[in-house]
Amino acid sequence: MGFRRDIADAFLKTNEIIPDFVEVAPENWINMGGYWGAQFKEISRCFPIFLHGLSLSIGSPDELDFDFLRQIKNFIAEHDVRVYSEHLSFAKMDNAHLYDLLPIPFRDDSVKHVVARIKQVQDFLEMPIAIENVSYYTPVAAQMTESEFINQIVSQSGCNLLLDVNNVYVNAFNHHYDPYEFISDMPLDRVAYIHMAGHEQVSPTLIVDTHGEAIIDPVYDLFDFTVAKLKPVPVLLERDFNFPEIRMLNHEMNQLRSIVHKYWIKDVVPA
Amino acid sequence: MLYQPDTYKIEQDLSRFGRTGNDTFIPGATEEGLRQYRRLLRNNINNTMVQAFPISRQVLPDDEWNELINLFFANHDAKTTQIWKLPAEFVTFVKEKDYATLWGKPWLNDLLYFEWIEIEVYTMPDIEAEPFTLQGDIRNGTIVVNLEYRLIPLRYPVHLYAVEEAKNHPGDYFMMVYRHPETREVLFADLSALDTFTFENIAHEQLSLSDIAAGLKLQFALSDQHPLLINMIAFVQEMMAQKLFLGYAVERKEQF
Repeated sequence: MGFRRDIADAFLKTNEIIPDFVEVAPENWINMGGYWGAQFKEISRCFPIFLHGLSLSIGSPDELDFDFLRQIKNFIAEHDVRVYSEHLSFAKMDNAHLYDLLPIPFRDDSVKHVVARIKQVQDFLEMPIAIENVSYYTPVAAQMTESEFINQIVSQSGCNLLLDVNNVYVNAFNHHYDPYEFISDMPLDRVAYIHMAGHEQVSPTLIVDTHGEAIIDPVYDLFDFTVAKLKPVPVLLERDFNFPEIRMLNHEMNQLRSIVHKYWIKDVVPA
Repeated sequence: MLYQPDTYKIEQDLSRFGRTGNDTFIPGATEEGLRQYRRLLRNNINNTMVQAFPISRQVLPDDEWNELINLFFANHDAKTTQIWKLPAEFVTFVKEKDYATLWGKPWLNDLLYFEWIEIEVYTMPDIEAEPFTLQGDIRNGTIVVNLEYRLIPLRYPVHLYAVEEAKNHPGDYFMMVYRHPETREVLFADLSALDTFTFENIAHEQLSLSDIAAGLKLQFALSDQHPLLINMIAFVQEMMAQKLFLGYAVERKEQF
């Protein structure tokens, strides 16, 4: 489960949420003091921490920010972090952060560029990272399919794949492809981590990955299909805002657990 | 950088469209998708600023607020990797562009700064104070300061009045914003010039109240430092109760 301030008490005070691990965006917690700094220390003490970054901007033409990476590396060491993942997108351009995930053109030169940067990051952090397939709302000058793009990035960089099943569903709807075929085409032996979330349909032709709604049945079905093809990996329920009652979140987590238990006999153990 | 120039330009065009909403052409892109990115990016910036500056948002008319957000996003290259710190860059941007003067709102810089400082103090990394004891000599002892604070000068008393009233009371105001060491809540104190002088001498020079009063007596050729000292003692007692001052320094034993 993602740790968010709105539901912090359910993790730390009432024990209504007892996840197997907790995911946070390091950008939200690095150098945080005071009340929330103390809350995060407690979370880190009680649960394994996974990091899911926002600002690395692996697909940006700008130079990698090694001061930022140094902060990430220190944070990983300080909190004994098991997984650091980022997005296959760009979020910085012309030395200006954009604070959202923009799509990288699916092109040969983009593959070379991103692969080189992932390798740099992995060398610096001295650990493999996982890269997430992002949702995107328009194609941008693509010269290959999304599936080809992801496969080339993963195979050439040696990184792991964070497979966001909801994003596959969203992209399949927005860009008119078969999500099941897409999943089958992914480098499934490199999947280290799965994200599940809700989304919002904002027009007859567009779905946006909001993390603000419950997971819908077709995404559960796609998840079931995916899990059947994978070795056990951690699964995250992403919920960032518009929180329902805690019992509803637990219901979603239990639905995910019931699916993984159909295929993975042992408990899911964080990587 | 291994991007070809055209790939670079595609990302650049998408980024610029997201920041400005100005017309662009990106091969293969859909108008609906591009508009969605513009909406998402701008919403992120706007929501961050609304959360950081609730009072400013309330007192600025919608058109002025939206113009500020648009100008900021289009023209300011955001430096921080942490979006929750972006409001600090917004404060600097508004001040440097001098919208306070341009828009006839002389209180604007102070109000934005005041609102940001509350966040800064609430979230600042923990700073451990010197060891202290609660018993001590208030006149001659070394007073230990809670280091989780910001002391800010204000030209307009936006912390005391609504902005339309505050603009009628320009002056030299000193606002102490600090974090309670136990509850971690942010507290505010309006300091007089003498309080501020006293605080600065305690915090930065580690002077006792007697030393500070003696210095003032000498500097201004006062006949009696006692009234000053009484005022300083009252200030320190009050702020010790409010946890801006934590206690008295523990004497350090010489190590041999």
